[in-house]
Amino acid sequence: MPWPKQIKYDSATRTLMITYDDGSLRQASAFHLRVNSPSAEVQGHGGERPPAPMGKENVSIAAMEPVGNYAVRLVFDDGHNSGLFTWQILHELSEGVSS
Amino acid sequence: MITKQQVNEVLDSITDPRTGRSIVTMGWVQSVHVSDGQVGVVMDVPANLASGAAPLRSQAETALMALDGIESAQVVLTAERTSKPDAKPQQAAPSKTGGPTGLDDVAAIVAVASGKGGVGKSTVTINLALSLAQQGLSVGVVDADIYGPSVPMLLGLGGKPEIVQVDGQDRFVPKQAHGIVANSIGFLIDADTAMAWRGPMVQSALMQLLKATNWGPLDVLLIDMPPGTGDIQLSLAQQAKISGALIVSTPQDLALIDAKKAMTLFEKTEIPLLGLVENMSGYVCPHCSEVSYPFGQQGAADHAQSKGLACLGRVPLELAVRLGSDTGAPIQARDPDSPAARAFQALGSSLLNQMKSVKPKPAPELIMV
Repeated sequence: MPWPKQIKYDSATRTLMITYDDGSLRQASAFHLRVNSPSAEVQGHGGERPPAPMGKENVSIAAMEPVGNYAVRLVFDDGHNSGLFTWQILHELSEGVSS
Repeated sequence: MITKQQVNEVLDSITDPRTGRSIVTMGWVQSVHVSDGQVGVVMDVPANLASGAAPLRSQAETALMALDGIESAQVVLTAERTSKPDAKPQQAAPSKTGGPTGLDDVAAIVAVASGKGGVGKSTVTINLALSLAQQGLSVGVVDADIYGPSVPMLLGLGGKPEIVQVDGQDRFVPKQAHGIVANSIGFLIDADTAMAWRGPMVQSALMQLLKATNWGPLDVLLIDMPPGTGDIQLSLAQQAKISGALIVSTPQDLALIDAKKAMTLFEKTEIPLLGLVENMSGYVCPHCSEVSYPFGQQGAADHAQSKGLACLGRVPLELAVRLGSDTGAPIQARDPDSPAARAFQALGSSLLNQMKSVKPKPAPELIMV
């Protein structure tokens, strides 16, 4: 997996764009990241996965905080802030775009 | 003799002009500690009222100083950050984790970890620190083993650290011994007191030891990690800018299994593994100097190689190492020509070399538009 060089959130399009050190570019919508957040609140505590959060179509990212050297905490404007998105997870949740 | 009762009465007379209620009735007084003439009070203030709380703090101190027989009164203010789900969070501020800390002038932080306890990690940390200092580096050690701090004993240090004010904040002055500086929770509590703390308390205590210690300019700060791969290790990985990790293991398979877990934790948190040290690598007979291998031979070194990890040193099991550790005179200071001390010197040199070539990748830039 390439290493992320820059993570940029565009609040106008509610899209997170990730630029990697190999020059590739990937993107993911705030909605997609919100409903697939790695937080236990979304993923469940090891058992069955709880129902997907509803009505999040217009959710946006309000803040990003670095976590160590391996993840970013995405703070959504609906208050959800417990998901730590590792570089690996961000890569999996995003799709490639031609730069 | 001052009693808690007296202290509480004094605190009850301090009222917040905004609410007209005393700091006691508002439930702000979190703890009161009285020891002879010394009084310590922790005031926990809701975040939205924090700005007006500073004058109340000094009022409380002044009022306490008027008590009969008082020597010192210290009121500490803490504000709890309440998370309101509907509050619109601020724009991402990269300086959020910033702000001045005692770590600002520390060039590199190296975590010394083992996974398994009892493999001699603290002994390795201290002797490695001494060997780096002997090579001319300024070195610090922070004892992150909150539940079983051993750095005070290893360095023969005790007593509470002094406090200085830096940038308007209280900072610990690290203690000095054998040419290095160190701080440990062991300086703050009695040696025989068990720390019955839950995770969040341990984490905040640890962050204070790291960030609220006035380390000054250091070339290397070694973190003596507690054994295991749980909360404490993870929060360190999240909050401290660790340049790399050094894994300590004995050659025994049992210790190696746990060492592998520790490696996985660092890999997952993108902290580069600098290498592995094989401790208790062979036993040097004090009578005939013959070397035997009670924990097997080469186990850790072979494993390191199979993982593409550098084996940075092998430290023999010597009686003198244990004696030095128990008397506060590390072997590196006591007998620098002994086989173990020479092994620590070699470890220091290979670690420095490794740190030049193995560096953490820079965290990505976070931008909000």
